[in-house]
Amino acid sequence: MIAQLLLTAMLFTILLYASMTYRQAPIIGLLSVAAAFGGLYFVWVPSHATRLAELVGINRGVDLILYTWVLISLIMLLNLHLKLRAQLELITLLARKIAIADAVNSLPSSEGRRS
Amino acid sequence: MSARSPDLWVVMAAYNEARVIADVVADVRTAAHRVVVVDDGSKDATADLAASAGAIVIRHPINLGQGAALQTALDFAVTQGADIIVTFDADGQHRAADIAGLIDALTRHGADFALGSRFLGSSSNLPPSRRALLRAATWFTRVTTGLDITDSHNGLRAMTRRGASRIHLRQNRMAHASEILHQIAASGLKYVETPVTIHYSAYSLAKGQTLFDALLIILDLFARRLHR
Repeated sequence: MIAQLLLTAMLFTILLYASMTYRQAPIIGLLSVAAAFGGLYFVWVPSHATRLAELVGINRGVDLILYTWVLISLIMLLNLHLKLRAQLELITLLARKIAIADAVNSLPSSEGRRS
Repeated sequence: MSARSPDLWVVMAAYNEARVIADVVADVRTAAHRVVVVDDGSKDATADLAASAGAIVIRHPINLGQGAALQTALDFAVTQGADIIVTFDADGQHRAADIAGLIDALTRHGADFALGSRFLGSSSNLPPSRRALLRAATWFTRVTTGLDITDSHNGLRAMTRRGASRIHLRQNRMAHASEILHQIAASGLKYVETPVTIHYSAYSLAKGQTLFDALLIILDLFARRLHR
């Protein structure tokens, strides 16, 4: 019971994370929601987890829950990667503005913009 | 366009190209008055050598990648009033003499993009493995963009001001070549392919892409679609 409550709390945290992520990366948000709901279902209906686990060749329901958790971790890693990419895009825009402003300032007047 | 001759700008992204950049800029200046080199945070004297050779140099404060540098060059050229912009590789594999053919193709066909093709033209010293990789990349690009092209990763291309304004590269690194083609397809603007000659030297081959790079490009393109 303690493990179930702990896992439930963690999976609700994932749902919160998914709702925050959805605006920036809808696919990640949806995957996280699906994984978290799947995890919650298996935590509270372990017999179904065991049946599904046997069906896919994992044997034990508890292992399936662990695999679900690994999947969620991977999705979060992917999201971290996407966030880093988004940050890099912002850094690129900033660096570009600085570089172009410097270049324009150092242009001789004859090289300036044509009307 | 007015009666004046179109304002032609040749732009290139350069990273640690001190060995060749002065010669490349000097060569390009025989074809275009305005040459822009975006020094992408080089650790060598690329920027100074390019400036000495007569290029307008834009310096990225940090290394961002070829795609980012190219977008910086396009933004700069457009804001400075360029009518036609030619992208040109800084490693010396292109010929300045091909620029005239690209410009001619733009005007003759009323196109907004003229894309250089080594497979319509020629290439010297192209290793078979690189040729196979380029063919596969071109096939992939044709399937994913619908563009009828023969060379998907050729850095020698010309575009009108209108065409350049439709390019907004977000792939900072090597995947930008595919991204440009995707954006050309999405723009609906007219494009033509033009034969060009590429000369591979040991230097340019060492800077070229490998099969592993190609896989990273595909991953980059995929990851870009996962977020806004």
